Amino acid sequence: MNSPSVDAPLVQSARRRGLSGPQKRQVRTFFLALGYLAPSLIIFLVFIFIPLVRTFWLSSYITDPIGRPAMFVGLMQYKKLFATPVFMNSLMRSLTFVLYTVPTTLLLALILASLANLRLRFISIFRIIFSLSIAVSGATASLMFMYLYHPSIGSINYLLELIGITPIPWLVSESSALPAVSLVSVWLQLGLNTVILLAAMQSIPDELYESAMIDGANGWSRFVHITLPFLSSTFFFLLIVDVLAAFQTFTPIHIMTSGGPLESTNLLVYSIYREFYFNGQYGFAAAQSIMLFLIMLGLTIFQFTVVERKVFYE
Amino acid sequence: MKRSLFALMAVLTVLSMVLAACAPAATQAPASAATQPPAATAVTNPTATIAPPKSADAVKIAFWHSMAGDIGGKAIPTMANEFNASQDKCYVEPIYQGSYDDSLNKLKAGLQSKDTPAVVQLYDIGTRLMVDLKVITPVQDFIDKEGYDLSDLEPNVLAYYTVDGKINSMPFNTSTPMLYYNKDLFKAAGLDPEKPPRTFVEFEEAARALTTKEGDKTTVYGGAFAIYGWFFEQFLAVSGGYYVNNNNGRDGYATEATFNSPEGVAIFDWWKRMVDEGILANYGRKTVDTRNAFIAGQTAMFIDSTAVLRGVMDSVAGKFEVGTAYLPRPNEAAYETAGTIIGGGSLWIINNRPQEEQDCAWEFIKFQASPAQQSYWQTMSGYFPIRKAAYDEQLTKDWVAKYPQFQTAIDQLHIAPNNRVTQGGLIGVFPTARQTIETAIEELLAGKGTSQEILDKAAEAVTQSLSEYYVSMGIQP
Repeated sequence: MNSPSVDAPLVQSARRRGLSGPQKRQVRTFFLALGYLAPSLIIFLVFIFIPLVRTFWLSSYITDPIGRPAMFVGLMQYKKLFATPVFMNSLMRSLTFVLYTVPTTLLLALILASLANLRLRFISIFRIIFSLSIAVSGATASLMFMYLYHPSIGSINYLLELIGITPIPWLVSESSALPAVSLVSVWLQLGLNTVILLAAMQSIPDELYESAMIDGANGWSRFVHITLPFLSSTFFFLLIVDVLAAFQTFTPIHIMTSGGPLESTNLLVYSIYREFYFNGQYGFAAAQSIMLFLIMLGLTIFQFTVVERKVFYE
Repeated sequence: MKRSLFALMAVLTVLSMVLAACAPAATQAPASAATQPPAATAVTNPTATIAPPKSADAVKIAFWHSMAGDIGGKAIPTMANEFNASQDKCYVEPIYQGSYDDSLNKLKAGLQSKDTPAVVQLYDIGTRLMVDLKVITPVQDFIDKEGYDLSDLEPNVLAYYTVDGKINSMPFNTSTPMLYYNKDLFKAAGLDPEKPPRTFVEFEEAARALTTKEGDKTTVYGGAFAIYGWFFEQFLAVSGGYYVNNNNGRDGYATEATFNSPEGVAIFDWWKRMVDEGILANYGRKTVDTRNAFIAGQTAMFIDSTAVLRGVMDSVAGKFEVGTAYLPRPNEAAYETAGTIIGGGSLWIINNRPQEEQDCAWEFIKFQASPAQQSYWQTMSGYFPIRKAAYDEQLTKDWVAKYPQFQTAIDQLHIAPNNRVTQGGLIGVFPTARQTIETAIEELLAGKGTSQEILDKAAEAVTQSLSEYYVSMGIQP
């Protein structure tokens, strides 16, 4: 680009020579592919890249309560992120939340999928039950759990009392609110995880199990040596999706706790929402969004470079 | 090949999820309420529909409201239909926009894209912000133009919405908090069910007497307060305390939070003392959770808006007798000097709509303020009428006869003196301030410091928000 004088003759000579047949075909294929991709590329551009750029732009301003930029402040909002505890606290809570939810979801989904994969009569009924939470919206599930968690009239505490355990102030206490919300999140993710794992299990060729059985492998070793390795790529996919979903959990928080009590459930995305829509701190919220984006990008790169090496592809 | 395809798919999924989350420019707002408007009954099927306009030439106006449940599903469409049928120049279309916060957020977005309603219902605490944004036409302009008679309207209600000497929005749904109590439990505890507690000390003593235990387990709590900033504001007002300086921000812009006064500290101490003793339950921030505990007979007294009376009565359904009383004051003398603040919402006319739409908006506002409509509205919702003539309507008379508990709400409004304390704080960052107080109460109950320390910290945060607000709005207080 710096030396057009050097490049120009090359281009000219290329033109003079003309493109060879295969090259022409490549160019044509490229544009054809672009044509096919155009609808999604345009959507990507309009709904994702432009907002991203706008978010970055907004993060360098102080705004009025309607969100109109009022004063350019450069990187001040980012300094504020690290100077005040708001951001770091909600980041730590989000990480805790990921730790609470993702391994639990994967483990439970694996157990449910293994059960659903058994060849029994009417197994499809169980498959439907196990995957039912896909059909329930986050808001509905949150409302359901709110009733279950109610400190005095909720069924969970009623059952606990029947077996002699002191009632837990689920959503009211600082220490139990995050686990309580995590449970809802796990419940919501479980259906999808189970279905995907089940589908992966069913795509494992029967011959492998048959020959393992001939070799005298028992159920457990068939599971460990055949099923699990075959599931690793699916696990990897679910791990990424679940971590991202956990980082972005919003609905249960908004409906059940509004980030409280004592900020104990004020996860990153909820904190962004609150600063943006509620406190009118548009620039600060935009800066938080950019940080969230960078964190998740970093996490994803880490997963692809480090974790992916351990994955077995068919 | 399969491997790279998979990687590509995963990368795309990841990117789209990450980036979609980072697009706060989108205006979509979530479904539920962060601040709960004191809407009453549980959500049932909205039934009424809006009839088409009588004349094709009618000026169409949009009316955004935040009334859920029966009130929004039935009462509001009925009122709109009656207005549309009463004349053929204007046609109003009510649109439910979610909670007040959601509605305000949509309005903020709409102001930039010119997608605004002619009339919007917003909460009391949005008043200063709406005036400062300069996006409204004060109803005072219309009142002056046609000499609209205000003498029948409740003076305390008008005073709340009077800013800089002008009535900026027309009150629509007004309420105050009151004490609800279970008369059967009063009798069982040996208390006189016709003499509910009037002061903080009496409340504490009653709560102690009402609390019943089986072994270690508390079966009935004497009382319960939801952690709701509005209740603190009200307790402060009945204690004669100011929320912010410059006489609650009503004699010039408020620059400093003052709720960390001895009055505020006394409220915090009282609240904490009762929770620590185990005679006041804490069911968290959601007022509905506290209400449900009362309905289930697990708490004998609680505080809530007058607007939920009908919902409470319907849910209790005669299982026990419900009594209502004034919000407790720190002492008897306070009944003379202080009182509750008007809560609820009012109707605003947005000034970027064409003049003819604004004129229609005013016509609609006048219609809803008429005695017959206010009476209907009150009996449907439990908010109290904004004008005195509504009490002469048969509908209201019947209703008060059926729910004598409602008389408390009316009396409480009328005994409150009209002064800077009972007019309540006026600040542009009220939603933030309310949330700061709610966090402060949580800190208090969790024992994170003394009442004074916690309130000082909260006051400092609100003062800081105020100064940021003025900078961003270009206001020099």
